[in-house]
Amino acid sequence: MIVAAVLGITVVLAVITLCEWPNLKQSGKKEKMAFAAITVIGGIMAVLYAINPDLPGPTQWIDAVFNPLRVMFSG
Amino acid sequence: MIERGKISAGQMAIMLYLAITPTAILTVPSISFQYARQDFWISPLWAGTAIATVFVALRLHRMYPGLNLLQVSERVLGRLSGKLIGFIILFMYLYLDALVIREYGDFVVGAFLRQTPLIVVSGCMVLVSALAVRGGVEIVARFGQLFLPAFLVFFLFIILPIIPDLNVTFMLPVMAEGIMPSISGSGILQVWYSEFITISFLLPFVADRRKAAKSCTFAILAVILTLVISNLTTLLLLGELTDKYNYPFLVVARYISVADFFAHLESLFMAIWVLGVFVKICVFYYVTVLGTAQWLNLPDYRTIVFPIGFMITFFSMWMAPGYQELIFAIETTVTYYQLTAFVVIPVILFCIASIRKQVSGVR
Repeated sequence: MIVAAVLGITVVLAVITLCEWPNLKQSGKKEKMAFAAITVIGGIMAVLYAINPDLPGPTQWIDAVFNPLRVMFSG
Repeated sequence: MIERGKISAGQMAIMLYLAITPTAILTVPSISFQYARQDFWISPLWAGTAIATVFVALRLHRMYPGLNLLQVSERVLGRLSGKLIGFIILFMYLYLDALVIREYGDFVVGAFLRQTPLIVVSGCMVLVSALAVRGGVEIVARFGQLFLPAFLVFFLFIILPIIPDLNVTFMLPVMAEGIMPSISGSGILQVWYSEFITISFLLPFVADRRKAAKSCTFAILAVILTLVISNLTTLLLLGELTDKYNYPFLVVARYISVADFFAHLESLFMAIWVLGVFVKICVFYYVTVLGTAQWLNLPDYRTIVFPIGFMITFFSMWMAPGYQELIFAIETTVTYYQLTAFVVIPVILFCIASIRKQVSGVR
């Protein structure tokens, strides 16, 4: 299951990169860097999530920052 | 300029209307009812944050023409702290778009396509939206223009056949405990109203800026009217049962039966809802992509559309294990985050900007 998920993520990201390749070739270094960074970060997070779905997700990150505020207001 | 497209003020109003109403019709009634009981149809009238955000966005745009909220924050607060504030707002947009996709996926899987995995439903939606977003702001605006008539006609098609079955006694007593219950019921609605800050990202592309204020007011009024009508219909049909359902308005659509012939109109509701939510997803997706490109100082936003789409898709899977956790998150901390990012930060920015203008004017 995990292998299939990781394989799926890799295939999706590879297809995205292949589709964007003609555009990326013409664009500047900065765009290439940004594309690579966002794709790699997204891929790593997706693989981590596939391996362990119980990892704290975006909702928990927001919770960690904003829970004190909520407690402060609702007492 | 990163985006060469131009939209009209009317198109902006349509985009906003479709960016706010669809999910509000779906989820708000059952949450709002818990606070306001039979007064919850009055709640949409308390549109405090809508007015505040539109006012702030318009004023900021008058002070810094052609700049959106992220660029203004960099201009006002300096480079580093401006980028930090920009990140908070951008992450909110990313999260919000993932949240809408998740709501869409849960709704479609829970109510219609029971055998389909969630990731297929949300993945298809993100793919279609990504193609629209790549086309630029004009394409998204055209989609809004195209879908609005269908949205309104289908909406009336659900409301009109049900009028004979409405039971007016369900709404009595009106304001039995004063206006306070309806105000506390509008608390959750402020989350939707705060999304009006999105005009700050669309205003730079509006060709006829003089009409912008007028069409924003019109959009606010249209959203309020739609929500009052949908809440009132839900209340008068379901009464005390409203908060027993996840999607009360869907139950309303299921109830319709004209001459034993027109029945099961929930497929119609589904059609409306998918059209509306598609525009909603596109608008927030577009803002996320455009904002990220500006945040990274990229010359073009088109190349990062698909990677961000991938991120949105898997954030939507990652954010909550089930629908109940999702609703709990919306009701608690996400509300605070969204109100901070969309209301508090813009208002503070506006205060700092106007003080700076005044000080430099005196000199």
